[in-house]
Amino acid sequence: MKVLCNREQLREGLAIVNGVIPTKSTRPAIENVCLVATENALELVGTDLEIAIRYRLDDVKVADTGTVLIPARVANEFVRDLSEETVSIDSGGDNCVISSGGDRVELVTIESDEFPVVARFQETHSYPLLAETFNKQIHRTSFAAAREPGRYAMHGILIEIEEGRLRMVATDGRRLAVTSTVIDCPEDAAHRAIVPTKGLQMFSRILSDPMARVRISFEETQFCLKTDNAEIYARLIDGEFPKYSQVVPAEGACKVEADASLLVNKLRLASTVTSADARAVRLVFTEDHIELLARATGRGRATGQMDASYQGSEVDIAFNPDFLIDGLKQCESDRVHLEFNDRTSPGKFQLGQDYTYVVMPITIDT
Amino acid sequence: MSGTPSILHVDMDAFYASVEVRDLPELAGQPVAVGGEAERRGVIAAASYEARAFGVHSAMPTVTARRLCPNLVLLPPNFEKYTQVSRQIMSIFRSYTPVVEPLSLDEAFLDTSGCERLHGDAIEIGRAIRRDILRETGLVASIGVAPTKFLAKLASDLDKPDGFRVILEHQIRSVLDPLPVEKIFGVGRSTAKRLHSLGIRTIGELAGLERDDVVRRFGSSGAWIHDLAHGIDARRVNPRRPEKSRGMERTFAEDISDRDQLKRLLYEYCEEVAFDLRDRGLQGKTIAVKARTPSFKTITRSRTLDRHTNLGARIYATARELFDRVPGGPLRLLGVQVSGLEDVRTAHQGVLFDDGSAPLGGEGAASGDSPEKPGKERRLRRAMLGADRLRKKYGKRLVQPGSLVSDRDRT
Repeated sequence: MKVLCNREQLREGLAIVNGVIPTKSTRPAIENVCLVATENALELVGTDLEIAIRYRLDDVKVADTGTVLIPARVANEFVRDLSEETVSIDSGGDNCVISSGGDRVELVTIESDEFPVVARFQETHSYPLLAETFNKQIHRTSFAAAREPGRYAMHGILIEIEEGRLRMVATDGRRLAVTSTVIDCPEDAAHRAIVPTKGLQMFSRILSDPMARVRISFEETQFCLKTDNAEIYARLIDGEFPKYSQVVPAEGACKVEADASLLVNKLRLASTVTSADARAVRLVFTEDHIELLARATGRGRATGQMDASYQGSEVDIAFNPDFLIDGLKQCESDRVHLEFNDRTSPGKFQLGQDYTYVVMPITIDT
Repeated sequence: MSGTPSILHVDMDAFYASVEVRDLPELAGQPVAVGGEAERRGVIAAASYEARAFGVHSAMPTVTARRLCPNLVLLPPNFEKYTQVSRQIMSIFRSYTPVVEPLSLDEAFLDTSGCERLHGDAIEIGRAIRRDILRETGLVASIGVAPTKFLAKLASDLDKPDGFRVILEHQIRSVLDPLPVEKIFGVGRSTAKRLHSLGIRTIGELAGLERDDVVRRFGSSGAWIHDLAHGIDARRVNPRRPEKSRGMERTFAEDISDRDQLKRLLYEYCEEVAFDLRDRGLQGKTIAVKARTPSFKTITRSRTLDRHTNLGARIYATARELFDRVPGGPLRLLGVQVSGLEDVRTAHQGVLFDDGSAPLGGEGAASGDSPEKPGKERRLRRAMLGADRLRKKYGKRLVQPGSLVSDRDRT
C-alpha cells in the first residue's frame, strides 16, 4: 500500500478513530488502526468490539491499494506532531513507514486478517435527517443516562421511531430526559434500540457539519450512523429499558416559570454548604417568588431568593441541585417551566419544544 | 485552658455485680458474678473484686469461673435494672457538661472545658461526679482526669477500684514510661509480641524509637501507637457518636440442628433488632448472620440491601437467605446484626421506577432479591408504628409475625 494524503485530514481522522480504539485489549489486534487504501480513498477503521468506526479520507493519492494494521496510539501521536502539508504512508512486508518532510516513523505491522470484520452500512431501515437535529437529541438526553453501576439498560439511550417521530430517552432511575422530533420515514416505521451512551457520544464527534444530511439505521444488533465520510456502528444493549412513559407526569398542580440561568445560579450558591454525599436544596414557592434553602449538619446553611411567576399557596419541594443544574444548562429558552404535584412526586421541567426533563425529589420518610 | 486537663473518663467498678450486691447487701464481701449458668454454657458478664481475686473475669465461661472459685455466687443478669442505673449515671454526667460520650452502660468520656465557671475545673467536677454517683446510686466509680482521651482512660484504670487519678501535662512521661506497651489502645497481642521481639516492653521504650522506624515496621497503626506513647491523642470527646450497628445473638443451652427451629429463632432475633432500631429512630442497610458450630468455628454471612430498613420481615428475608448459606449441622450460637445505620429522617433521593429498575448499587439487585415497592414498604412501616405502640404498652410478645406464634401463645 502506498498513499499520499493531507496531514490535517489524516490527523483529524486518526484522532476520531482513536476515540474508539482501546489502549489495552485482550485481543491485541484491535489496539491497531486498520488502514484500507482503495482506488481513490483511504479508510481508517477502528473498533473496541462495542463501537466500530470507518472514517474515509477522499483527498488522497493512492499509488498502491492495500490494507495494513498499525499501532493506533503511535500513529496518532506521530502524525499529530508533524508539520509538513503532505504525509506519505508506505507499507510493504511487515512494516509500514509514515513520513512527512524529513520526519519518518517505521512501524511493525501485524497480519490484517486478525482484525475483526467491520460491517458496512445497511440502507434498509435507514432514515435521513440533519446532522444538527440528531446531535441535538444526543445532547438533550445523554447527560441523564446512568453512569454508576446498576441496571445495564440505563447505561444506554433509548432511540425509538414511532408514528413519524424519532424519540430519545435517557434515565438513571432518578431523573429522565425525553425528547422527540419529526423524522422523514414511512408512516408505519417502528424501531426501538438501546444504544450505549458512550457510543452515542462518539456519534456526536463525527457530526461536525451541522447542515450535513446523515442517515441513521436500525439493524438487528447494532445502530448505525452514516455521514459523507464516516460510518459508525454501536452494538445495542440487550436489556429492558424502564417503562419511561408512565413516569412522565401529565400535568402538575403547581406551575412555576422562572429564569433558567438565574435558577442555576441560585442553586449553585445555595448548594455550596451541602456535602457531596447529601446534596439537597429545598425550593419554597410563594406568590411570584422562590426561596432556595440548603443546610448540612455540622457545616451550615445557605439561602437564596429569586423572582418567578407562580400563583397559589406556599409549597415546597427538595431536589438534588446537580440534577437540576444538569437539566437547566440544556434549557433552550430563557425561561424554564416547572410543574409538580407535591413534595414526593416528580418535578417536570419543560426545557424546550418536545423536550421534557423529569426529576424525582429528595424526601424524608416519616 | 492550657495546662489543665479537661477530659474525664468515668468507669463504674464491676458494674453489674456491684448493682446486684447493692440490692442484696447480704452478698457483700462474697465473690459475686453476673452471667449465664454453666449448664446453659453461659459466660461471665461481670465479676466482683472478691471474685476477681480468684481469677474470675468477664467473658470467661461460667464453667471455668466455677472451677476457679467454687463458692462463686452466680446471679442472672438483669439488663433492665442496669440500663436504669446507667441512665441515672449518664444524667449526673450531663448535669456537669453537655459533652458526654457514652462508651457502654457504665463508662463514658466527658469534656469539661468551658464548664469551669459553672462547676469548677475538671478535677473538682470529677470529685463531684464521684460523690453524686455514690449518693444517688450507692455505687463506686473510678475516674481518670487527663489532657487526652487515651490518658484519661489509662488514668481511671490505674487506681481501680474506687480510683481517682489525675495526669497533668508534666506528669505524662513519668506515668507512661514504666507502663507495659500493652496498655496502649491499639496494641493487641500480636503487636505486643512484635514489639517484645524488638526488645520493646514499656511505653517509654516505644516512645524512644524513631517515629519513621515505627511507621515502617507497623504501617499507619505505627504512627498511631507512637503518638499515644508520647501522650498525643487528638480525638475529641464526641457526644453524638453515631451507633454503628445493632444486633442480637444467643448461645443455646444445647446445640440446635433443626433448621426450621433455627430459622424461627433467627426471625425472632430479626424482629427484636428491628423493634430496637425503630425505637431508636434508626434504620440499617447491611444484614449479617453469625453462626457458631460446636467446635467454635464462627461463620458470618452478610449482604447490603438496596435501601435502608428497620422492618423485621425485611431483615429476616435477607437473614434467611444468608442463613441458607451457612452449612447444615448443629449450632451453638446464632445471631443477626444490622449495620450501616442512619437516622430514619435522613433525606432520600426518590426513584422513578418502582419495578426495581432504580439504580441499585448492592448485591440485592443482582441476586434477584425482590425489592419491596416503596408503596408496600410505606404501608408496612405505618402498620409497624401502630404495632410498636401496642408492644410498648402490653409487652413485645403481644404483636408478632404469624409464623412465630406458637401454641403456647395462642391460649
